[in-house]
Amino acid sequence: MNRREFLKTTGGVVLLGGSCAYAVRLLTATTPVPPAAAPAGAATAPSSTRRWGMVIDLNRCRPDCTACLDACSRENNVVPVGDARWDVHWIRKVTVHDPSGRSRDKHVLLLCNQCDEPPCAQVCPVQATYKRDDGIVIVDPHRCIGCRYCMIACPYDARMFSFKESDAWPNKDLPRRSHGVAEACTFCAHRLDRSEKPACVEACERLNVGALMVGDLNDPDSNVSRAIADNSVKRLREDLGTEPKVWYVGL
Amino acid sequence: MDTRYEKVDGTSPQYRLALAVLGGLAVAGFACTWWVSQQGLWRTGMNLRVPWGLQIVMAIYYIGLSAGSLVISGLSGVFGRAEYKPFARIAVYAAMLLLVAALLSIAMDQGRIDRFFVQPFVHTNPLSLFSINPALYVSYILICMVYLWALLTERNRLVGGLAALALGWAIAVHSGTGAIFGFNARALYESPLLPASFVIAAIASGTALMIVLIVALFRLTRRRVDDDLVLGLGRILRVCLLAVFYLLVVDNAFRLYLVGEREAGLYYLFQGVHGAMFWGGLVLLACCLPLVLLFAPRTRRSVRWVVFASVLVICGILCERYVIVVPGLTRPADLFPGMQVIGMQSQEGIVGYSISFVEIVQALGVLSLIGFLFLLGLKALKLMPTEARIDLPLVSVALPEYASDGSARGQVDPARRASLPTGGFHGR
Ligand code: SF4
Repeated sequence: MNRREFLKTTGGVVLLGGSCAYAVRLLTATTPVPPAAAPAGAATAPSSTRRWGMVIDLNRCRPDCTACLDACSRENNVVPVGDARWDVHWIRKVTVHDPSGRSRDKHVLLLCNQCDEPPCAQVCPVQATYKRDDGIVIVDPHRCIGCRYCMIACPYDARMFSFKESDAWPNKDLPRRSHGVAEACTFCAHRLDRSEKPACVEACERLNVGALMVGDLNDPDSNVSRAIADNSVKRLREDLGTEPKVWYVGL
Repeated sequence: MDTRYEKVDGTSPQYRLALAVLGGLAVAGFACTWWVSQQGLWRTGMNLRVPWGLQIVMAIYYIGLSAGSLVISGLSGVFGRAEYKPFARIAVYAAMLLLVAALLSIAMDQGRIDRFFVQPFVHTNPLSLFSINPALYVSYILICMVYLWALLTERNRLVGGLAALALGWAIAVHSGTGAIFGFNARALYESPLLPASFVIAAIASGTALMIVLIVALFRLTRRRVDDDLVLGLGRILRVCLLAVFYLLVVDNAFRLYLVGEREAGLYYLFQGVHGAMFWGGLVLLACCLPLVLLFAPRTRRSVRWVVFASVLVICGILCERYVIVVPGLTRPADLFPGMQVIGMQSQEGIVGYSISFVEIVQALGVLSLIGFLFLLGLKALKLMPTEARIDLPLVSVALPEYASDGSARGQVDPARRASLPTGGFHGR
């Protein structure tokens, strides 16, 4: 075998081997798995016996109140940068107006629906977005490459992206958010893990309004399970099969 | 006489100047990208509602051009059109560089470019089209490299097989890319037609690019190319354009016919910058004008007009890529059908997006880099034939049964074959 042939054969073998190994990886890789470690400061690991869901009672929610929005911003360091184009809102409030005038304006809170079949996780090329055992959809900010495919795939426009960093850092218990990665509401997973309520729910309860509640869908006696059973509830775009876990009363 | 390939001299002041300009623009583009990566992607003008902008438009544009170029290179090896063999090398080289450009455009567009080259390979998600496609892109580039090497070293037995492989791969790559958009539960994106129309538009734009490139390169280097070869490519182009036009009509008719889709369909056709791009760019520049030029008896026999039609197609398909990406994003998700949604602090409803200066500098950077590499390749590799004539007794060793056929088909009335120095288009 002369040198030329040798180089050719080795080159071919290396190329072929490399592509086979990659193909095997592609085929055997499993669907998104959560990283082993629980979030820092977690008292209890996310449990698979619970499945978190939220009920929003629009009949109680006050049209001009922003207590939950402000609480979310402070808790999660999601501070506006002063331009609507890049102001991230993990939870936001919109007015739904009927141009035909047949129904009254509704004030609706929008947030990540923690879909049971999350398209955002399906499309994530690096499995940075995944669904925890308790059903909460999380982005790993250390893995996300910032491709924004999840924003395209989310049918609820609930996926956010940190386009611009803000200097404010109100909650020192959580890291500052850096620019360049995708993000969305986490149901305050870090608080649920230490048996506290999400910041928005707590803020709403503090005002004695009680328009928001979070609870375990697996428990038929939980607050959310009862609210869903006793009221006429709706979810957004149920037709898509994403199985959102935010229910609305009065939508 | 067999086709001889020669390197380009690359000693003329124009060549050096072109290299210097392209190099400068490339450096500027990459410097700009570095600055954006430090500042945050808001500098590009993309925003929470329109998270994909010009770089993605350019990426799918390059991918399309690449497919088309590869089809041209495969004409001799796969479809037995031996008379196009002289263009095979240049076409593969262009196809390869264009895919590199697409990958670079995507890389530039990431929020965390530093992770882009590692994470997708370490944490592959087989369910994500964004994982499947990069694997296809990288392997496509590798196949193109091997294919080019086989062409350069005249390994004619390999060439036929590699051409078929590369062509099949190209179709997979481009359908996959179309699926990134089509397979989404988002009005104006969701469409099973998209992968198909994506491939067809890709072949059209790539053929047009090859027509312009071949004529320009042969004129600039004072080499000879038979008009009939160029006109033949024009005939391929017009078939593709008919298909593009047909799919476009079906797609829009669907949206206008279904009551639930009609509002989105009308928005797509008649509003904003994208409406103008649709009618002016896609319908007029990419379809109607070139089709007229390529079918009208007088213009379809003139290289000058065929090149002009190709330039129109190249511009028009860029608009087509824009209307694939942007209108589906400026329009909100359909959460409350028939209702008007007003935000308190957030952007709701229909939002605006315009291409920013920063994005243009970035895009020019990528374009210049591959232009630079293309010119270098012309000087370093034997890519261009000394002449491309239809009546050469071309011996296609890849498919020997076509060898005699190819020359037989090459019998063209000498009167119709315009000779180079007089008939035609002069570079740019
Ligand atoms: S609402 Fe959007 S971001 Fe939240 S889980 Fe569903 S698809 Fe993902």
